[in-house]
Amino acid sequence: MKGTNLGEFEEVVLLTIAALLTEAYSVAICDEIERITDRKVKLGVVHSVLNRLEEKGFVNSQLGEATKVRGGRRKRYFEVTHAGKATLQKVKSQRDELWKLIPEFNLKMI
Amino acid sequence: MSKLNPHIAPPAFASRLLRWFCHSDFHEELAGDLEENFLKNTEIYGLKKAKRKYTIEVLGLLRPSVIKKVRLFNYQNNTAMFKNYTLVAFRNLSRNRLFSAINILGLAMSMAVALLAIVFVTEIYSFDEFHKNKDRIYRVNNIVIKPDGELSVPYASTSLLAAQKIREQVPGIEKVASFFKGFYGDLKTENETYSIEGYFASKEFFEVFTFPMVQGNPETALTEPYSLVLTESTAIKMFNSTDVLGKTLLRRKTPYTITAVVKDPPRNSHLRFDVLGAQSTLASETRNSVLTDWNSMWSSYAYLLVSENRNLEQIQASIDQIAKEENAKSQSLNAKLRIERMSDIFPGEDRWNEVGTVMPNQRLSAMIILALIVIFSACFNYANLSIARSLKRAKEIGVRKVVGAKQGQIFTQFITESILVSLISLILAFFLFRLIRPEFLSLDFYISRTTTLELTTSTYFYFFLFTVLIGFLAGCIPALVMTNFKPISIMKGIANMKVSEGINIRKILIGIQFVLSMGFAILVTLTYKQYQFALNFDLGYETEAILNVELQGNDFDIVKSAFIQIPEIEGISGSAFMPSTGSTNSDHAKIESKADSVVVYSIRINEDYIQNLKHEILAGGPINDDLQKKQMIVNEAFLKQFELGSPIDAIGQIVDYYNENREIVGVIEDFHYGTIYNDIQPFAFIQSEGYLNYTNLKIRSKDMNSTMAKIANAWNSIDSNHDLQASFFDEDIERTYKDLSSSMKTYGLLSIVAISISILGLLGMAVYTAEARLKELTIRKVLGASVQSLVSLLSKNFVIIFIVSAAVAIPTSYYLFKNTIAQNMEYTINIGFWELGSGAILVITTALLTISSQAIKAAKANPSESLRSE
Repeated sequence: MKGTNLGEFEEVVLLTIAALLTEAYSVAICDEIERITDRKVKLGVVHSVLNRLEEKGFVNSQLGEATKVRGGRRKRYFEVTHAGKATLQKVKSQRDELWKLIPEFNLKMI
Repeated sequence: MSKLNPHIAPPAFASRLLRWFCHSDFHEELAGDLEENFLKNTEIYGLKKAKRKYTIEVLGLLRPSVIKKVRLFNYQNNTAMFKNYTLVAFRNLSRNRLFSAINILGLAMSMAVALLAIVFVTEIYSFDEFHKNKDRIYRVNNIVIKPDGELSVPYASTSLLAAQKIREQVPGIEKVASFFKGFYGDLKTENETYSIEGYFASKEFFEVFTFPMVQGNPETALTEPYSLVLTESTAIKMFNSTDVLGKTLLRRKTPYTITAVVKDPPRNSHLRFDVLGAQSTLASETRNSVLTDWNSMWSSYAYLLVSENRNLEQIQASIDQIAKEENAKSQSLNAKLRIERMSDIFPGEDRWNEVGTVMPNQRLSAMIILALIVIFSACFNYANLSIARSLKRAKEIGVRKVVGAKQGQIFTQFITESILVSLISLILAFFLFRLIRPEFLSLDFYISRTTTLELTTSTYFYFFLFTVLIGFLAGCIPALVMTNFKPISIMKGIANMKVSEGINIRKILIGIQFVLSMGFAILVTLTYKQYQFALNFDLGYETEAILNVELQGNDFDIVKSAFIQIPEIEGISGSAFMPSTGSTNSDHAKIESKADSVVVYSIRINEDYIQNLKHEILAGGPINDDLQKKQMIVNEAFLKQFELGSPIDAIGQIVDYYNENREIVGVIEDFHYGTIYNDIQPFAFIQSEGYLNYTNLKIRSKDMNSTMAKIANAWNSIDSNHDLQASFFDEDIERTYKDLSSSMKTYGLLSIVAISISILGLLGMAVYTAEARLKELTIRKVLGASVQSLVSLLSKNFVIIFIVSAAVAIPTSYYLFKNTIAQNMEYTINIGFWELGSGAILVITTALLTISSQAIKAAKANPSESLRSE
């Protein structure tokens, strides 16, 4: 099923949301990805990925409380749904399996 | 973070842009995210760079997932909604009968005018479309350069010599069809005579143009001299059959053989003919100078069929070369040759000596512009009244919005409504159209000659399309105004709502309407006065009770002897044509002792003419018909031009004019041989020398009908083949100014429409204002205001609009009159206050009456009636 496939960047975003626990909103996600992967992330790109993930049912979102910063505007917090968690697990186990198949010497960096 | 610092704020433009394109579901969080980033960036990079980053980020959000979905219609249940819109629209129409009537009537009137314009324009543009090679046919036009200056005159005609040279010398041209327009007069069968008109056409005629044959071979039909091609209807008229090949007809005692029969030229052809003679005939006749003279270009035409891969510039260059060579050889004509696309002929530029009637471009665009003006005026009405009434419907809109109607849906609703109104108007407009069609056809010489205004399927389709467009245009502004109502302010109370922008739009719309109405009214007045002026112009001789009878080829003396028996005819004279009706004739005149030759206008007359038309003789006497002594009579301008001194001194002078030495035997007072478009130039009456075409009968009769019957009888006794062609001189003059009278009628018709529409609109506005301010008025009245002061209170605003409109309309229409209608006139009316003011005053008075009728009604109402109701 094409709709539930998880792209590389989608996986990164989904993992970041899981890592950020309750503080997962778009700016924080951007920062975290930038910090860990060391690549420039555009807000618009992250936003559209988040929307896509929500459409696929991997994340839920809700608006938080209004605060004084951000011009009084609310943040949208994301959390990983059960389906999201299952997919992440599946992806990880697939990768692990692949890792297991590789003889150790083959990946040793010389 | 110091949010309170007003300087640290994201760039306003980018924020607004974001708000504009961003989907409302996402705007809050995204704006927040951006602002958070912005504040962070300000601390890291400084304000300037942060702002730039913000803008870039906003632009980065321009992606399909973020942008609003643009949707006018709600696709899920649009039929149900449209049903509802229609229902609501009909309810509204029937609730506000007066306003609906005003809207529908106004739209219908203007649409009737627009329908005329649509039919007219489609018909005009269908001209010459039937030729198979229409894209490759070009006409050669002569542009004559006058010897005295830079002035060049465009002609539609060219010489047959030019056609022949092009045929022989210019590469890149497949065929050259030329024709000479001189094939008119009588054709005789064994026992009947028919008057026909046609061309001497070259043999390529049927290869260039598409006129399908009924009988005969198109390639050879016009090859032999004295061959003749008839149209189907002419053949049937003469022989009652189209099976006529090989039969002969007599023209000027020469037999012509019929070689082909063609279908009649369609109505939308600029070439019209009954018969075609072979152009090779001209070579065998004596007048073959037509074929070989560079300067006999006045009634012959050349059409080129260029090859598929033409190079127009090259063709034009070769033709220029021909013109250059011929101009060098010729003393009397200096002309350029220009090629013109077939599709540019009709409608096209105004040229001299057109083949047939041509619709000049300016006339066509004037028609379209005027129709548009009227249409816009009616659309303004609709917009105006709808905006004015919009407050009444604010609650409906508020409820719709609260229930969840999107802006697009509200817009659609009001557009649906206005399209509905315009469709209803279309039905009415269609009847109006039928009503004014004959009027329109008789309006203008050009129109009746060229169009029939028949309806076709495509015009019906255009009508419908146009109606929907009008509905959209008219509904656009009110729909936008209403779409932008904020539900909150509606719910808070209509009384608090301000539609102040609306008021300004309305004032401007009314103003424009009145400028148009007044402008039309003033133009009508001016044109009417000018027309009357032209008809009653003192020509310097008497035209009253003069009946001009066309001789139609009959000998003058025979006609005279027939008419002289009628006792009511007081005088009979003859002339080549009638002065003061637009025709002129001129040649160079020279007096031995004076250096320069001068252009002198002239008319050939017989000896009784001067006395019959009561010309004032200053010296000498009338000419006589004695051809041994060539004589002429000249006017005062002639004396002045040649410096001949007093009239008596001029008698006996010999003038070289029209290839003869003529003696001046009389001097007459200046008179207007031309029209009001010409001033008085040197002029001469010369002897007829057998060139009389008209006889002028001075009639004194108490019973005109019986006299006319006698004249007709006398005519029939001498010529049974032609009907009597007679008209009074005054009628001839009237016909001369047909142009003027037709523009007068056009403006008249339009001004009636425009004034009615604007008065209707005004009535609507007045009713609305009186209604909306009813409570205010009654309270004022209770407190002691007089009816008068209430009326002036209501009318004040309108009066200001009228005054401003008049201030715009008067100078504009004066300028228009001077620059279009009176542009080339030598003699025009004096334009004073009443000429300019009366139109405006008429419109203002009608408008004021309309307003005050409503105002008085409101002011006189019993206060308790309206105060009790709450």
